[in-house]
Amino acid sequence: MTPRRRNWMLLGAAVLIFAVVFAWRLLFLPSALAFAGGHQVDLSQYQGASITGVPAELANADPVTNGKYLAEATDCAACHTAKGGKPFAGGRPFKLPFGTIYTPNITPDRETGIGAWTNAEFLRAVHKGIGRAGERLYPAFPYASYTLLTDADVLAIRGYLSTVPAVRQENMPNSFGFPFNQRWLMAIWGTFFNPNTRFRPVAERSAQWNRGAYLVEAAGHCGECHTPRTLMQAMNTRRKFAGGQAEGWNAYNITGDRLSGIGAWSPTDLASYLAKGHALGRGVASGPMAEAVALSTSRMTPTDIAAMVTYLRTIPPVSSKASPAMAGPAPAVASAGPSDNPGGKRLFEGACASCHAWSGRGAVTPDQQLTGNRAVNDASAANVAMMILNGIGSPEHSGAFMPSFRAAYSDEEIASVANYVTARFGAKPSRVSAADVRKMREE
Amino acid sequence: MVSMRVNDEMTEVAVDADTPLLWVLRDLLGMTGTKFGCGIAQCGACTVHLDGVAVRSCRLPVGEVGDRAVRTIEGVGSTPVGARVQQAWLDLDVIQCGYCQSGQIMAAAALLAANPEPDDADIDAAMAGNICRCGTYVRIRDGIKRAAQHG
Repeated sequence: MTPRRRNWMLLGAAVLIFAVVFAWRLLFLPSALAFAGGHQVDLSQYQGASITGVPAELANADPVTNGKYLAEATDCAACHTAKGGKPFAGGRPFKLPFGTIYTPNITPDRETGIGAWTNAEFLRAVHKGIGRAGERLYPAFPYASYTLLTDADVLAIRGYLSTVPAVRQENMPNSFGFPFNQRWLMAIWGTFFNPNTRFRPVAERSAQWNRGAYLVEAAGHCGECHTPRTLMQAMNTRRKFAGGQAEGWNAYNITGDRLSGIGAWSPTDLASYLAKGHALGRGVASGPMAEAVALSTSRMTPTDIAAMVTYLRTIPPVSSKASPAMAGPAPAVASAGPSDNPGGKRLFEGACASCHAWSGRGAVTPDQQLTGNRAVNDASAANVAMMILNGIGSPEHSGAFMPSFRAAYSDEEIASVANYVTARFGAKPSRVSAADVRKMREE
Repeated sequence: MVSMRVNDEMTEVAVDADTPLLWVLRDLLGMTGTKFGCGIAQCGACTVHLDGVAVRSCRLPVGEVGDRAVRTIEGVGSTPVGARVQQAWLDLDVIQCGYCQSGQIMAAAALLAANPEPDDADIDAAMAGNICRCGTYVRIRDGIKRAAQHG
């Protein structure tokens, strides 16, 4: 063998090994609880209090109440209800890189909803991502998480869904082009990325931790937004909870990292955020997370919130570039801030300062604080701009409220005030452009 | 039951803690000098002081007041700065229709208490959130400067 030929063969072998390792890492990801160590056992073998089903507070409740609680813990309503639409009738659009997909009607209507489905068909859809006619469902439906739910819990949810008002509303077809419109490809996806196993508790961990794991991983499906996606659109569990995206908003790092994640949050901070959507000095839940709080976590019992907090505080720290160390306090004097953005400052003084204050500490209520808030310290300013566009809450109800400035200001103006806010109160000034805001308006 | 200090007097009101302070002032305490404008903290008509700082009372839950002293347009004249601002407003006929003006006076008094000699940029930064449909902004600016000179 000539040296030249040998070199080529060595190079070929190296490329092959690299490709195999790359494919292996792409296709084989750690399971949701792999980080915890210990031994995962069948639920029936776990020595400790009950982990699945409803919490102790609902021990004597009727099956429909229990099913409703579980449907809230799994937050079915958020995706299966369109803006201004009837509950659970579907039609909410999700814009994905390959097209728009609409959630289906899951009311008991027999023609357009799931009234005619058998329990086995419902279980198969939730656990395996297979529709009634055997068609493969897209993982926008988080079956890779729901697959961990027990049969009993899935059927309790089904029981509740059969009691909600039936709505006759046809499902909307998705707009995926080739090859993404080939549903059978999802069977391959599911083979690798849907574990298709029910929840298995860790024997060495407490019942509270395991209950929290069940609520976070199976029911709450937190990782669907908070875990970054791989090239194959699977949850990259090697960077579990290190931050992802949801409908134009950034879903931030919720690992134990003290700078990038929530490692510095106290259990009270976390519990308050989940139960009320606000933790003092940490910011308010906004965008899709505000919905998750309103429709799901705020309706959970204190013992379940405590369990989720216990579990979340054990997630190994992962640092992420998008979530740097946060800036400290901002100056209270207006003139002391950034001077290179007079347009943004002018808007801030007219529309923002009377609530948020020039110090960013909040002028009226503590939930208006901008400093120490992850969104304000995110140099993409995605969530700041989305918040300015969409606002939050309603003035008729208590809780966090901010008006939407979508109609009041141009793309240029919203970009400039978002950039002013990150420069004055955050770790790194953002460079949002009018074109970015135009795209955000369509989310 | 919520108890708080309004214009130097302790008062008790039977309301839910999430009732906005503006509702308490106007509907329960009968102090109608403070106006309702937009209800979303975007116009400034409802401005009052909490420990001397200008705050939008339409978005302030009364339960958040705590032991901070509330001062309204009815009581601002008993503070030296508030009295000067009111006199300057009279001297210059700042008011046109008047609806926003209790908010303007409260914001101006809070500004002067924190910064006795504000320049135009300071006035903009403190007053831009107080909207006047009659467009009395030029006289408001002059009024603040006059009150500052007479300090």
